[in-house]
Amino acid sequence: MTFKDLILISTGNLWRMKLRAFLTISGVVIAIAAFVSMLSFGAGNQRLIEQQFLELGLFSTMYVYPPDEEDVDDSLAAAVLDQQAVEALSAIPGVNLAYPLEAFSVTASLDDKQADTRAQALPGAAVQTKIFSQLVAGSAYTGDSAREALVTEDFLEEIGVDSADSALNKKLVVSVQVASIDSGLTRVLQSLGERVGERAGNFNRDSLRSMEYWQRAARQEMGGAMARFVNGYLNHRATVSDTLVIRGVLKGRHGHRLRIEPVIIPLATALRFNTGGFTGSPADLASAFGSGDFFAAVSDSTSKSYRRVTLDLDPHVLYQPVKDSVEARGFRTFSFAEQFDEIRRFFFYFDLALGLIGLIALTTASLGIVNTMVMSIVERTREIGVLKSLGADEREIRLLFLVESGAIGSIGAATGILTGWIITRIASAIAKAVMEDQGIEAVELFALPLWLVLIAFGFGLIVSLLAGFYPASRAARIDPVEALRND
Amino acid sequence: MVRKFDVSTSWLQTKELCRYYRRGPHEVRAVDRVNLYLERGEFLGIVGASGSGKSTMLNLMAGLDTPTSGRIEIDGTALSSLTRRELAAYRARRVGMVFQSFNLLAHQTALKNVELALYFNDTPARARRIRATEILERLGLGDRLDHVPADLSGGEQQRVAIARALVKGPEVLFADEPTGNLDQVNTEQIAELLAGLNRQGLTVVVATHDLDMARRYAHRTVRMDYGKLVATDSGRTDGEPGQ
Ligand SMILES: Nc1ncnc2c1ncn2[C@@H]1O[C@H](COP(=O)(O)OP(=O)(O)O)[C@@H](O)[C@H]1O
Ligand SMILES: [Mg+2]
Repeated sequence: MTFKDLILISTGNLWRMKLRAFLTISGVVIAIAAFVSMLSFGAGNQRLIEQQFLELGLFSTMYVYPPDEEDVDDSLAAAVLDQQAVEALSAIPGVNLAYPLEAFSVTASLDDKQADTRAQALPGAAVQTKIFSQLVAGSAYTGDSAREALVTEDFLEEIGVDSADSALNKKLVVSVQVASIDSGLTRVLQSLGERVGERAGNFNRDSLRSMEYWQRAARQEMGGAMARFVNGYLNHRATVSDTLVIRGVLKGRHGHRLRIEPVIIPLATALRFNTGGFTGSPADLASAFGSGDFFAAVSDSTSKSYRRVTLDLDPHVLYQPVKDSVEARGFRTFSFAEQFDEIRRFFFYFDLALGLIGLIALTTASLGIVNTMVMSIVERTREIGVLKSLGADEREIRLLFLVESGAIGSIGAATGILTGWIITRIASAIAKAVMEDQGIEAVELFALPLWLVLIAFGFGLIVSLLAGFYPASRAARIDPVEALRND
Repeated sequence: MVRKFDVSTSWLQTKELCRYYRRGPHEVRAVDRVNLYLERGEFLGIVGASGSGKSTMLNLMAGLDTPTSGRIEIDGTALSSLTRRELAAYRARRVGMVFQSFNLLAHQTALKNVELALYFNDTPARARRIRATEILERLGLGDRLDHVPADLSGGEQQRVAIARALVKGPEVLFADEPTGNLDQVNTEQIAELLAGLNRQGLTVVVATHDLDMARRYAHRTVRMDYGKLVATDSGRTDGEPGQ
């Protein structure tokens, strides 16, 4: 018997019992369709993230943070993430570029619209990296001291500009309220003048003899001055403004993976805003006091320490050696490639869990196959006897039934894959409609890679063959004499 | 002229052949120490009452059943020395079987039923069709090729079954009560058909409880009783049906 004979006879037998075969195959179809559509969701999401990573060049991006305060060993000087460290980091083999994150609050005005937002200073070289190259309009700025800026789509949306193209080459007025020692002192002196006059009015000569009075007055005045200094520092800042030309518009919403400030300004241009000192929130100020670099930051920008430095790596080097050498310098790192490995590990278990659910469904379907096969063997006992009397050996009988259950599995798996695909198409269309409705960029959540098709088909076939194994052996062992008896 | 059969040149020979069945505490001796030979080209009748062991005897000789003890030799080779696959090949190539209840596959056409016998001896698909058609035409069923068994008369069904047994070109045909389910007219036709095939050189063994038929068509008739071979009669003597 050739394999073709086996296939023809087996499918012929299935065709003869159409309803039963249909029901049994349906079980496999449902299981495989569930398996395929679930794993397709996993695969789609994984692909989406991978695309995002590739698009943004995240596989070759690493963040460096200063050491955790708790982790710092007292006996050693804590590593400081300052300009010197940035230069050292950029010298590590495999690091193309190292640039610090410098973000500050700004008020940005475009035409007659205005918004409070945040800006980020970025060297010209960093603007060329993939993260900042996702332009929907325009181009990167031309140099570190250019009076130009990039803005994100989100910023335009917030400020009420509809089209990215229309924002190009427009003037963006960026204002920063610079808190400085000057503004603090101004406030102190100003109020000191008021107070001296005020006090002179109710001056009590007698009191001057008392040392105690002098001491109290001095304490009072000193405390008041300090309070006024801080108050002035925070609330009476000088405003520094600059007018920049919008060179390009960056694609917004790079997922939550990556935060890009709405306004990006060339490094040297940004320094103008920053000379005064802190521009951030009172919380930043408090931490600056705590870390002791408050006055250092004011007086000397080269010894300023950063909260984060971004490393752009050569895409051909492995992240691990770079990570090791950064960590050897006492810094903490965050590697997107490492994160992606974790994501992939997560998806592996995610797929495994989904696959397991599909396998459970498939197991149930396989019981249906066993049931169908056993029934058909009982019904076809005499037929098996006839085949044996005609010279069929046990192997051939077993193959005949294995091919039959294999056909159930193959037809079921193929139809199931198709059904699963149709399900994902429908689900994808619905998901996209919902995303568009919510104003989110519609993305494809499902993928049907070849490996998934092969695995699904393989599972369908293997499970059905396993299910057919017992019935087939039973058929092979049927005694032809018994089967052909008349009584 | 009386045909002489020489035991030493026989096609098949059984020696102290036994087939016992366990039925609860009892032992049923379906075939009990039977010594029988089968000559090439002869028409052998096995007669006996129902339950005397005729079918069991045929199944043993056809290699469908395995003896409890004793041996069967085909052309000097013991069937017991064959593997199960070789035994299947023996059935597929050298032996044709016909049953009382025809045992055709009800859902297949006459042609397909006959073709089925060629699936197990490596006949290519095209040759299967040609040879099955030929043999059915030879047996007068040329216009019944596409009929399923239910659409055929009993006699026609048995002729399809005989065609199925013959299509592989066997050396011997074992027929177990081939006319048991047929009326008088069809019985005569089938018996004539078997006798005709035998005249063309086919060795035929028919098991029947119809002593008269055996006497008329067989060269030699053996009788079984409770599993034992009890008597041998010579039947017709001239290769023609006796009177
Ligand atoms: N599988 C079996 N189990 C038990 N007894 C059997 C079996 N097959 C046949 N027999 C018994 O063997 C004897 C011979 O049966 P069989 O060869 O069919 O006789 P016949 O064909 O002459 O009617 C009978 O008594 C029958 O009941
Ligand atoms: Mg019988």
